[in-house]
Amino acid sequence: MGVQPVIVSAGFSEHASKRSDVNMAELMNEAIEDALNKCNCTIDDIDCIINGNMAAFEGANIPELWMTDHIGAKNKPFLRVTTGGTTGGSVAIAAYYAVASGLYDTVLATAFEQQSCGSTTVGLSSVALGEVSIYLQLGYDYEKLRRNMGAGAAIGVGAYQAVNYMSRSHCTEEDLARVIVQNRHNAAKNWWTHLKMPNLTIEQVLDTPYISYPLRFGMVTPASDGSCAMIYTTEENAKKFTDTPVYVNGVASVSNETAIVTSEAGGVGQLDPCEQLGAKISAKLAYEQAGISFPEKEIDYAEVYSPFPNQELMWLERLGLFEENTAHIQYREGITATDGDLPVNCSGGVNSTNAIGASALERVAEAALQIMGKAGNQSPKEIHTAIGHGWGGALNLITLSVLADQPRRKYKGGI
Amino acid sequence: MVKLEYIKKQYPRTRRVHGNWYLSSYQYKFNVKRINQCLEHLRKGELVGLKCRSCNTVSFPPRLICPKCLKMPDQWVHLRETATVATFSGTYAKESGDTEPRPYPVVAIRQDGADTSWLANLPEGYDFFKVYVGMPLKIKWAEDKKGDFSDIEYYEPIEDPSIEMNKKEETEN
Repeated sequence: MGVQPVIVSAGFSEHASKRSDVNMAELMNEAIEDALNKCNCTIDDIDCIINGNMAAFEGANIPELWMTDHIGAKNKPFLRVTTGGTTGGSVAIAAYYAVASGLYDTVLATAFEQQSCGSTTVGLSSVALGEVSIYLQLGYDYEKLRRNMGAGAAIGVGAYQAVNYMSRSHCTEEDLARVIVQNRHNAAKNWWTHLKMPNLTIEQVLDTPYISYPLRFGMVTPASDGSCAMIYTTEENAKKFTDTPVYVNGVASVSNETAIVTSEAGGVGQLDPCEQLGAKISAKLAYEQAGISFPEKEIDYAEVYSPFPNQELMWLERLGLFEENTAHIQYREGITATDGDLPVNCSGGVNSTNAIGASALERVAEAALQIMGKAGNQSPKEIHTAIGHGWGGALNLITLSVLADQPRRKYKGGI
Repeated sequence: MVKLEYIKKQYPRTRRVHGNWYLSSYQYKFNVKRINQCLEHLRKGELVGLKCRSCNTVSFPPRLICPKCLKMPDQWVHLRETATVATFSGTYAKESGDTEPRPYPVVAIRQDGADTSWLANLPEGYDFFKVYVGMPLKIKWAEDKKGDFSDIEYYEPIEDPSIEMNKKEETEN
């Protein structure tokens, strides 16, 4: 095993639907300044920079070349990672490997998205247009395909998962709304989040119209502008920078089969969209590296990627934190609240803030800050072990980082 | 409908330059070797799936490469005309001439005898609140067959005996 990577700091920019006062480069700079201010580190200490965002969503080609000066990348090794919705998680894993390999001492992981500048439809068409043209070529009616694809884009994948999850676990729409209310209330206590709704009630959420059954307008994620930055370094360097280092003990990145349509218009092998074998395998791999044998007891905090409320329930089960089909009952009892036994998404989650490329990195960043005790909406519980999770729509790519306040232990045995 | 209020911060506006991306002339290549044989059978009113010899996974519509063991499947098998709903959703869309968006069900079905699902259609105007996971369906062929996916006009819901059985179980409990 290589060098043990350590997180010393994490920073955010302000998130809003339209950050009209800054451009992409300035937006990225905000988060990096915040990250550098939180620890005793300057831009000269950084050896390598990793940057990522969702390709084509911001309407600029090769944006990392534009922002070179704004993120202090002049004369330094620079790597761009983009893997769709999980870009942030992949950036975190790339930074982990850059440090673990021993090539670089201090690595800056950055991710951003300014969706108000570009068109999400253009970005998604680069993903879906190939499949759509094949279906049309084979005689699939255009009107029908438009409707099927309309429900089958990112929200559709969430809707299919929700339908199967609800039919499996018998949870109701009220349970889904409860997740939303908790997240939006948490977001109101955080300075950098987008949808701050301190007075939201379950009835208000259930009063909004359907977008894709069973997901309503009040339940879906917004489109945000924002960025996130994190500093990874070695154990020795961390002592110079901060008193509260966070150890990255395990990472995993696992992809499952495509969600609804596959290549060459073939059938999809994944019959139940909420089964999520990829999440189970990624959990097994990452927990094995981190020496976690009993995730439901050992993990104190979870930051999961949940643009839609059913996903938050689903991921907590698939990542081994709750028994299958019981997550919605735990939400009713308030176990996942900020002051509960297992706080989940104290930052408000992707549900309240979704700068797509940065979202998965924000999950890792928030989990690290909760362990450091520097988070905006800090949980009163003492947090030793936390997970930061990411999910990408079309291919069900899962990224998982396991963080702790101690270096990794020896593996004891199966989950 | 209640308007959901949230704390908004106003940011100063700066200068913006507008631009366009021209996205019309893309070309995609795909392999029609397997799917063409399946479409030929559709013209005759038959359903065929492709079975992998190494793991017995049957794919419908046929896939070039088996998703489980990455072998090239080459054994054609006949499938039944019935299917079940694997997953579903509902969406609202405006057709030409509509003033209000209408609800449409969207279903992914699993053909009986196959191990994969794909997007299919229910009859026009079917209420999506009546759809459930595991609902049995039967194929409705188009009048004149052209040898493509439009030969399957839609899938018709059929009587489900398991509903009565579930009701009995509930009353017994």
